[in-house]
Amino acid sequence: MSTPSMRSLITRGTTRGFTSYAVAALALSAGALSVGAQSFPARPPAPTAIAPAQFPPFQQAVLPNGLKLLVVSNPRLPVLSISISFPAGSQYDPDGKSGTAEMVAGLLTKGGGTRNAEAVAAAIEGVGGSISAGAGADFLTVNVNVLSDNAPLALQLIADAVMRPTFADKEVELYRTQTLSGLQLSQSDPAAIAARVFARELYGKHPYGRSADPASVKAITRADLVAFQTSRLAPRGALMVLAGDITLARAQQMVAAAFTGWSGMRPAAGALLGVESSRTATEVVLVHRAGSVQSNVVMGNLTWAPADPRSYAATIANKILGGGADSRLFMILREQKGWTYGAQSGLTRQLGTGYFTASTEVRTEATDSSLKELLTQLHRIRSEPIPAKEFDDAKNSLVGRFPLQVQTADAVASQVSTAQLLGLAPDYVQSYRQKLAAVTPVMALAAAKAAFRPDAALVVVVGDGTKLYDKLKAIAPVRIVSPDGVRLQPEDLVVKAVALDLAMDQLAPRSDSFAVYVQGNVFGFLRSRLERAGAGWKYIEDTQLGPIMQQHTEVSFGADLEMTAVTQSGKAQGMDTKIDVSYASGRAKGSATTPQPTGGTKTIQVDAEMPLGAIDDNLLASLLPAFRWVAGAKFPVALFSSGKGSLTPAMLSVSGEESVTVPAGTILAWKVDLTGSDQPVTFWVEKSAPHRLVKFASVGAPVEMRLVK
Amino acid sequence: MRLFNARRLAAGALFGVVASSATLPGQGSQIVIDKSTLANGLRLQLVEDHSSQVVAVSLWFDVGARDELKGKTGFAHLFEHMMFQGSANIKKAEYFQLIERAGGRTNANTQYDITRYYEEVPSNRLNLALWLEAERLRSLNVSAENLKNQIEAVKEERRLRVDNQPYGSAIWEATLSLFDEGSCFAYAHSLIGSMDDLNASSVADVKAFFDRYYAPNNAVLTVAGDIKPAEVKKLVEQYFGSLQRQPEIAKPACDQPFNVGAKRTRVPDDKATLPAVLTLYRVPAAGHADYPALDLLTTILGTGESSRFNTVLARDKKLALGQQLYLNPFGPRRGPGMWMALAIANQGVHPDSLEAGMLAEIARVASEGVTEAELSKAKNQFRASKTNERQTAFEMTEAIQAATFYLGSAEAINTDLDRYTKVTVADLKRVAAQYLVPANSLIVTVEPQTKKGGPVP
Repeated sequence: MSTPSMRSLITRGTTRGFTSYAVAALALSAGALSVGAQSFPARPPAPTAIAPAQFPPFQQAVLPNGLKLLVVSNPRLPVLSISISFPAGSQYDPDGKSGTAEMVAGLLTKGGGTRNAEAVAAAIEGVGGSISAGAGADFLTVNVNVLSDNAPLALQLIADAVMRPTFADKEVELYRTQTLSGLQLSQSDPAAIAARVFARELYGKHPYGRSADPASVKAITRADLVAFQTSRLAPRGALMVLAGDITLARAQQMVAAAFTGWSGMRPAAGALLGVESSRTATEVVLVHRAGSVQSNVVMGNLTWAPADPRSYAATIANKILGGGADSRLFMILREQKGWTYGAQSGLTRQLGTGYFTASTEVRTEATDSSLKELLTQLHRIRSEPIPAKEFDDAKNSLVGRFPLQVQTADAVASQVSTAQLLGLAPDYVQSYRQKLAAVTPVMALAAAKAAFRPDAALVVVVGDGTKLYDKLKAIAPVRIVSPDGVRLQPEDLVVKAVALDLAMDQLAPRSDSFAVYVQGNVFGFLRSRLERAGAGWKYIEDTQLGPIMQQHTEVSFGADLEMTAVTQSGKAQGMDTKIDVSYASGRAKGSATTPQPTGGTKTIQVDAEMPLGAIDDNLLASLLPAFRWVAGAKFPVALFSSGKGSLTPAMLSVSGEESVTVPAGTILAWKVDLTGSDQPVTFWVEKSAPHRLVKFASVGAPVEMRLVK
Repeated sequence: MRLFNARRLAAGALFGVVASSATLPGQGSQIVIDKSTLANGLRLQLVEDHSSQVVAVSLWFDVGARDELKGKTGFAHLFEHMMFQGSANIKKAEYFQLIERAGGRTNANTQYDITRYYEEVPSNRLNLALWLEAERLRSLNVSAENLKNQIEAVKEERRLRVDNQPYGSAIWEATLSLFDEGSCFAYAHSLIGSMDDLNASSVADVKAFFDRYYAPNNAVLTVAGDIKPAEVKKLVEQYFGSLQRQPEIAKPACDQPFNVGAKRTRVPDDKATLPAVLTLYRVPAAGHADYPALDLLTTILGTGESSRFNTVLARDKKLALGQQLYLNPFGPRRGPGMWMALAIANQGVHPDSLEAGMLAEIARVASEGVTEAELSKAKNQFRASKTNERQTAFEMTEAIQAATFYLGSAEAINTDLDRYTKVTVADLKRVAAQYLVPANSLIVTVEPQTKKGGPVP
């Protein structure tokens, strides 16, 4: 839920339509009355000439320890933006420890010198400034924004961060936990899966193809972080940019004072940066996610080195193809066909070989049509002359927008340092607009031919393989993989529900009460009751989650675990939700109204196959006492989502045992991971009979249910 | 789960009532404003600043919900929608499209005291932005069909943002009873308006509204950035010069006295599942001497992790799930304003306990005051945000317009920071004791209801 935004109520949206009406002018006729004045033009005036860019002068210096300083001096306002970048991006992560660079960056501002995490936050908040750090594929950067009279504090915080980070165990573990949750969550996020698979398939064994996974993040030790920081965050090879109310002389003096005693070797160079594509034909990698109602399509190819002169023309071609609400992909896939909310394309520039992508998220049924259309549009933009009006609109928009992107000291510093770090021409930022303006339609066509390769593209589709495989096969050769990268064969796509081997005699009438914790605070409750109903059972659950949602669920099932019916009613984020589904003769039928990620609710009619052995996903928690728990056990379960009307193969795995303290007491429990479902969940199930569910938590969300009684 | 992040919704930040500068060392230089008035009464304010190649055009009309009469509520906002429906030489979608193709952006917004339209463009497209603003003033297309469409659009906006949002009707409507309908209808009625009033509006009503309020002598055009003032003046004369002056308009009064006795109201809300408490107090206008102290007090109580509401009510006592504090949540005003604290009760917390906790924190300022460190932090945050705002031409125009409309002159942007710098801990204690007291308050309790009307179990 979000707060009712006061400002947005009174800001109008951008409604679009095309109706025009003739109207009588309300004003007087200017020509008749104002003698001598020019009349009002009936068409928009033409642009006036572009003046050469008026950038503040850049000054550079190299300190004795090898640190490169770049000062963008602009005393107009007493603001100062400082960034320092190191060749310490994720491409330098040690083997098997992907995620190191990001973890180092995340922890640099969580304690350094004599300040702990809270003290760093308080120091910067106290002067109205901000500090942040992050790592990309090539570089790790720390940023600080302050009023210029706080420059000494800003530099001290940066020096503490990069020279004397604490890497306190508490902060390391907190960061690791958050990262692991994020990773687990991303395994259920189709867009994240698509991005990961795309990078791996595009770059192969090159460091750009790697990404952090739970094993690599768990493998990182504090010693690894320290080693990475001491070897890569060295003055030699780093670039510090100070932009705003400061002179080069003062910057040199203050930096020298704040970074006293800083020295170090230049960090080792990275892997060979140039990557040649060996792809000679378009190939589809289908990532099978059973039950997906949407497909994420990401396609693209390698491009070139960052300073390639074709970049300007390619940027304009890309703007026409898929860069915004005016572009071909957006207009055709969304406005004309209505297949998707968005379709876009982009060019990524990095130290090594860059890449192009075009992507969209579409309904499963529209997947093959959308992919065909993407390919058609890619062919078109590299083979047909671009109409002059369309070309001019795109170019003018890009040329015009640039000044808006470099208005603040912070923005100038960011543009300048990016250009420096990528080794672009010394006057890159100053001449950017003129270079763009000099592009002709012929140049754009030529650049498009080289940058967009529909004839040799990598296409990643994340979606329901059972519905997509045959259709995609008609477009290009298809390789199927599971979300975790295991190669699958077409026959693997059929969901086989496995009859659950449960100890039904362990199931007993029971009622449990859980407190819902959000970030450690009680936020709601979940009460469940399992009772006999004739020869079978009835499970009843009431949940309230703060002001966000409340719901009442009832699931009926028979003595042999055959599903009978599920009803659910409630309210989520202020909207009414409802599920009413009956199970009979191997099918699930009914209707479901559920909240949508994009806002609002959606009602679907459910009519789907319900193989024997599949269970309603609302029921899983109540059946946990009847599983035959042992160390290392894995139980495949076919979960039917009555809200989505689809079946998902999921896995329950015992990943360890832990002593868990909840309001009901301290209980020794199996830690059980549910994976494969839309929302991964961790359960803690009492080790001894009656195997009560003690605690469960949604992975990646700060929500935990703890047993009260 | 950051529901109500304890960050002020920055009424000041965008609407810029407290645009600062420039008289203290380290605050940046004085802003020089070139002011002139066209023969038809249009006031023009220019700031030449070639530090970027951007120009911002800001056109504010001296009309807002405040000017609406009984039976005609919601007109100011409805009319703002009408301004995007096309004119003699422009189709509906073209306002946005032409600006986007020039690399710029444009939008508009309605508040109680003003209605604002703006464009941010590269400086070689200043002519386009000015032309578009003049074009619709010259020949706006007010048709029955457009009006009907936009009434529907406003209704949809109301459903989306007020009716379907938990706490929406409490915030947007219950808070209005802080003001008295008789003595201050201006601020006692809803900005989005009554649906009955909107349904009853006619093309003739809208045209009359346009003629009366969208007149050159009821507007201020501020242009800042990479401009040559002489050229801008020439263009403005060419595009806007033939618009016709209209009779001057008397502004509706708001004779709302302070300390008229505590008010209390309860709002059933079938979208909310947890109770919430809103405490509101009448405060003076943005130009009043006590306003800076009230603004800094809002920061100390409600902004950031270390604010008092967050540390005491949310973290220590666990009474609140989250909170937001505002000085003038609906934008600054030339009349009396409102100071508002909104908190959502934690699970199992009775709204009365939450209310008692909120009132205790507010009362503690009046009894014990704040620390020098708290005041210094609030001033630093204020100074930083106001200085950062001046980095872009768009924010510069907003700050100048706000100074013009709320502080009496554009030049006030050069002196406003002084008002904040001078505030002492004694001032904070005094304003808290003077305004944030029961006799000057409205307390709104939001009670979750089921659809059928019963309380939530």
